[in-house]
Amino acid sequence: MEGRCSVETWAEFGLLGKSGRPKVKRGFGANIFICTGCEEVYVFSANERKLTVVLQLPGPVNDLVESHDKQLLVACRCGVYCVDLQLLLHRAHGSSGDASSIPAELKISSEFVVVDADGVSSLLLVGSVLLTLSQTDTSWLLTLYKSPQQTQPTAYEVLGSFHLPQISPVVHDDTKLKAGRTGRSILLCAHFGNRPPPSSSCDAVDTSYPHFCLKPVLFKLLFGVEAALAKSPVVLCGLPDGRLCFLPLGLPGSRLRVLHSLEQPVVFAGASVVVETDPGHAQCLAVVGEQGRVVLIKADKAGPERRGSLARFTEGCVSGPVECGFVDKNCLYYSTGSDLLTLTLSEESAGREDGERGEEALRSPTSLNVCGVAALTEPTCSAAGDVQLLGLTVGGQLRSIRLPMRRRGEGSPRPPSSQVGRSVRDLLSAIGDVCERASALKTVIKSKNQILKQLNQVVNISFLLTKTEEPFPFEEKPIGCHATASWSRSLQKDTLNLKCVLTNSSPYVLERGWTLSVTVFPLSCSSSTGEGTSSTNFMFPFYNLRPGETLEVSLPAAAAGDTSYPLTVNCSLILSLSGFLGEEEVARLPGWQKSCFSLPLNTLTVDWLHASQVISPTGSQSNKETDTLQAFLSSRQIGCSKGDGASKPERYSASVRVSSELLRETLTLKSFHLDTKGPELASPNICFSLLDWLFFEAHGGVKVGREGNEIDSSGLAIRARAPNGATVKLSAKQINVAEENPGKEEGLVCVEVRIESSSVSAVCGLHHAVLRRIQSLLKKAPEKAASTEKVQRLGLRGALQQAEIQQSRLSEALSVGMSSSQTNRFLLGVYQELRANPLLVI
Amino acid sequence: SDKMLSLLDKWVQENNELANNFKVGNNSEQSCSEFHKLLRKIQGIPPDAGHAELELSVVYNASVCFIAQSQIVEAELLLQQATERVLQMTGDDPDTSDPLVLWRTVLKSVRKTAFHHHVLYLLSLQWAIWLTNSYLKTIRDFQEISALLETLSGKVGDDCRNETKAKFPDVPKLITDPRRLVELLQICTIITQGAERLSEGWSSEVLSDLQAASTLPAARALVAYTHLLSGACLAHMNRPQMALQCYKTALETDSHCVCALYQSILIYRQLKNSQAEIQTLRILHSILLLPSSSEPAMAGTHLLSPSLFLRSQSLSSLLSVPSALSVLHSLALKCVLHSRASEGVEHYLDLLAALHSEDQHRIGVHAEVSTLPKLPRLYLEAGAALLMAQRPADCMALCSEVISTTQDLLPQKVVLDESETNAAATEDVKEEGEGGLAMFLWTAAAYLLQGHCFTHMKDWKQAVTHYTRCINLLVKVHYKNKDTDVQQGGDFCILQRLKGLSFAGRGISFTQMDRMKEALRDLQHSLQVLPEGVGAGLWCGEVLWRLSRRCDAAACWEKTWSLPTQPLTETLPVYVQEPQTGPLLDSTELRHRLHELHPV
Repeated sequence: MEGRCSVETWAEFGLLGKSGRPKVKRGFGANIFICTGCEEVYVFSANERKLTVVLQLPGPVNDLVESHDKQLLVACRCGVYCVDLQLLLHRAHGSSGDASSIPAELKISSEFVVVDADGVSSLLLVGSVLLTLSQTDTSWLLTLYKSPQQTQPTAYEVLGSFHLPQISPVVHDDTKLKAGRTGRSILLCAHFGNRPPPSSSCDAVDTSYPHFCLKPVLFKLLFGVEAALAKSPVVLCGLPDGRLCFLPLGLPGSRLRVLHSLEQPVVFAGASVVVETDPGHAQCLAVVGEQGRVVLIKADKAGPERRGSLARFTEGCVSGPVECGFVDKNCLYYSTGSDLLTLTLSEESAGREDGERGEEALRSPTSLNVCGVAALTEPTCSAAGDVQLLGLTVGGQLRSIRLPMRRRGEGSPRPPSSQVGRSVRDLLSAIGDVCERASALKTVIKSKNQILKQLNQVVNISFLLTKTEEPFPFEEKPIGCHATASWSRSLQKDTLNLKCVLTNSSPYVLERGWTLSVTVFPLSCSSSTGEGTSSTNFMFPFYNLRPGETLEVSLPAAAAGDTSYPLTVNCSLILSLSGFLGEEEVARLPGWQKSCFSLPLNTLTVDWLHASQVISPTGSQSNKETDTLQAFLSSRQIGCSKGDGASKPERYSASVRVSSELLRETLTLKSFHLDTKGPELASPNICFSLLDWLFFEAHGGVKVGREGNEIDSSGLAIRARAPNGATVKLSAKQINVAEENPGKEEGLVCVEVRIESSSVSAVCGLHHAVLRRIQSLLKKAPEKAASTEKVQRLGLRGALQQAEIQQSRLSEALSVGMSSSQTNRFLLGVYQELRANPLLVI
Repeated sequence: SDKMLSLLDKWVQENNELANNFKVGNNSEQSCSEFHKLLRKIQGIPPDAGHAELELSVVYNASVCFIAQSQIVEAELLLQQATERVLQMTGDDPDTSDPLVLWRTVLKSVRKTAFHHHVLYLLSLQWAIWLTNSYLKTIRDFQEISALLETLSGKVGDDCRNETKAKFPDVPKLITDPRRLVELLQICTIITQGAERLSEGWSSEVLSDLQAASTLPAARALVAYTHLLSGACLAHMNRPQMALQCYKTALETDSHCVCALYQSILIYRQLKNSQAEIQTLRILHSILLLPSSSEPAMAGTHLLSPSLFLRSQSLSSLLSVPSALSVLHSLALKCVLHSRASEGVEHYLDLLAALHSEDQHRIGVHAEVSTLPKLPRLYLEAGAALLMAQRPADCMALCSEVISTTQDLLPQKVVLDESETNAAATEDVKEEGEGGLAMFLWTAAAYLLQGHCFTHMKDWKQAVTHYTRCINLLVKVHYKNKDTDVQQGGDFCILQRLKGLSFAGRGISFTQMDRMKEALRDLQHSLQVLPEGVGAGLWCGEVLWRLSRRCDAAACWEKTWSLPTQPLTETLPVYVQEPQTGPLLDSTELRHRLHELHPV
């Protein structure tokens, strides 16, 4: 490690943009043009070390080139713009003579357009001809324009264009993506012989990069005798698909032809002198690919049997990725983003016949310990022999990189102590740079890993919950809700509280971003009326629900007097992206801030039975007065209508009949774990357990929070208060229905559940609730090959539907407020319908 | 129905506005979509004979726009939909997908209706599409087109225009006059058909059609094309003078018709009238250099450019003209070959200057496929011309340019296997046409020309040196396959001629240096390789004479005189033909000597 390079930061431009391409170019005078991949072009004066002009272009900048008459041509997404820089600089100096720190700003509008073409990725000026390289859907297009003579920016005249069909790049995916986005391409121009062609305005523009003079033999070998004879400049273009193509300008009928394919995006191509035999003649053409492939093209003496000379392509590989590169007289500089390296293109590799020497040289790059360089300028050589490079770092800093003097064949002289100190400082700062970058990268990787892990959990959970091929018919989903309904009194108001418990019995953790959403809405309202107001939504965000853990939330389902039962309770899990990734992460994804997705869990139903409070036969009732008042009122109401010959017209009743056999098979065994001892013996048990099951077991995922056994064990009846305040009596008794089915040889024993109340809606609602429960019982019953059973079950479903319709009509009729006579007629109809359905559930 | 009427009026109004704007603005891409949008609105209601005229007018306008944009498929789709809707209006059943049958059904079913003419307009567009797609047979088979011609050119034109202008301002306007369109289609069809049938060899049948077409009302350019094609027919029928007359008429009709000029050059070439050919080439070249000549003003005021309908391959090959540089090269070569060397030199120098000029890019770009020879050959031809024009120094400069370019690329030797595909099958073929052999031949020819130059300047020593260099190069070319049949190929022939001429040149130089033995050896070598070499034969006799082998000398002379005289030809590069300069022997003097030898 002889001699370190010194790095000096000249200016900062902020982080590099992704849409354009970072570029640093030296212009006339001491101007340096910088594009950071955004819409701006900065003009920096190296002498004054300050920013002089900022050009604001309408799109991301891809390339820029300075013309011989000091105009700046900038290739944008939407065209090529021409700015008279001299005028601009003059103006900048004039206006800000004192306040010299403020750079002049200029917004470049469409009046500066000289070439109206989309997607120009590279520019090149050869004499008065402007070349643009752009990509169309199917081909690369190299277009030639003639620069107008006058200095006013007028549209350039098209001279012609050349197509090269695209090939699908053979490079691997991420680079393909990158190449597709940036469309990185390069254009340069090789001249034959000593000088660039005698053009009217030949000056420094045509002699510095990207223009170079190739050694005549190499020129002829690569581009042909005709191009050499015509002294035609040859345009070289390197494409993202790895091809290096050439086009001799000004030969009749010349075509764009492929010189070599690097099979990876071409990052840089340039010519190097290597040995100074003929001054100004480059002997070696170097091409560098994005993944580190380096090709050196030289003219070589052939063997005795072959022609005099041939072009030798020496391929080698340096460790990539290569961000940018440059050559000077005998060195190739390239940046991998984390380091700047240099390769010596020694004369051994140029002269010798064995190509291994050349490859060997490629294998031993020297590190310069400068990290983060994204763009480089042409190296300049000072009188003392120092080489100065200008680099643009990924952090948007313009840095001057001064390399120590190199002497061939001898080690560098021992530097003075002050210089040693300086180089140690440089080294330390370089280490600091690298360390800082490394730690930043580490945290990014860590958080990315964390997010990936969590995402995996999320994906597993969503898969589990949305799996449709194997639904959970009876057993619950691994993640699900169940609830307990209980009445509570607060602020003088009775409310039906629902305590929802979310159980995670899956092997996955519900981590960040999850919310339990519970929506409560009346079943009758859900479809027909569709009022938004009737549904209530509750959101419970939570964090880290591990396997086996539960989350308990409590919500008011309904107030006292609210009769819109049954209520449907929809439970779902919602994952919001902002909750999952965090606000600032999501802010980087435009359009995703508000996005979330919802996974349905299960649906619970709270019906009349859940909401009915059992009146203990012993306990005194606090609101008996209301009850009696209600009873009085309803009796007054109903009293107006005529009785139907029944003994008590004000009391309404409905009944459900279930076969004892069915009950025994499904219910009894579960409740008592007893052997069946015959229908007679078990009959009071059956009735008792049916009522118990109806009232105290969990139904539809909802359990009722009542304590104690409040069934009148002797009478086999329960008195309860429905949520509308009416008193209801549910009784069960065993009967024989043989006489009603004369076709059967043996009578069927069944249990009749009778619902009696003075309130029609209570009867109706409870009847519905009982039917629903028995329906679920039927589903549980073992399948029997009895057609009558099926018929019955069908009948039950029909009855259930009818009851639901009736109930909704009823509550509608009651709420709308019909005239009393209409209401009465209506109620009577319902009553009769109910009575007309003697149901038997087998 | 009342509302309906107003809606129809609105649509008519919209169509007319679009049509008017179209004439003013000519922004046809936008108009395309606007007409199409309007059409979709109109076709939103079921087909009804009541508003058929409006609907068909809009279909016509939209289709014309599409065709003008070269969106042929879209236009065809519109026409197909329109015909289907017309059939629904008339209640006929479109039970076929064959467009010909469909059109016949449509024409039959609308014969009595009010919108008969509008259907005919659409038919003219169908014709245009067929022509664009070069379905010439379909056009020929569809007899109804001639009926269309009669109907439209007879009545409609006047009717339509009067109607639109005066009486009914709310008649839907058409963006281009159908009668003009039919006229255009008619002449374009004849031209395209003529070119196709001409290429199939039916020249006499086509001629009358074309001559009739030349009186049709059409743009000058198109009329010129009919004359041009008549000329081509006559040329096919071996009546070159009449063909020339036709070409002349074509040029008189339309001065931009440069292809007529080029075709006459071909006739002159065929007639071997080199003076006329040179003159015409000169005119053609100067016309091609004019800025406007590249894009003939064909479009005129027509919305639909005739070039849309002239897409036949055989027509475009007939209309093609080589690039200005190619013409200049032909001109220069012709001059050199027909004893106008100094004029030829000027043209060659112009050509080289053009290739090196600032404006080179323009030239390079415009010629898609160059018919120019390779640049080194061009240099050598120019060198030979310079030598003929007694400018040996300039010739030498050009030759050294070629030599310096090729020298360091020359292989040590070239092995030619003639049994393989081509003469250029060398080991290291770098690219097509630029193999080692070509490079060898160019370099050798450059040395040969330099030798000639020194001969011309009577610097015999230098001449010997350069001829020797040429010979040394040529002996490095080896032939694997010595089969004489295949050895007649171009490169082999050039190689043999180069050998023969360089040996002859060196022999003559030796003669001048009085080294008779070497001279005799070289000249005999030359005659061995190239028995038809006149210079070598005469000088060989002379050497023999001086060596006092008079009988041999006489035999040699007699043999040489018996050879057919060979003028300069175009089949060989001019630099491998017998040099026109150098020491000459007077044949009459030789005959006199012979006479003295055998005083019969």
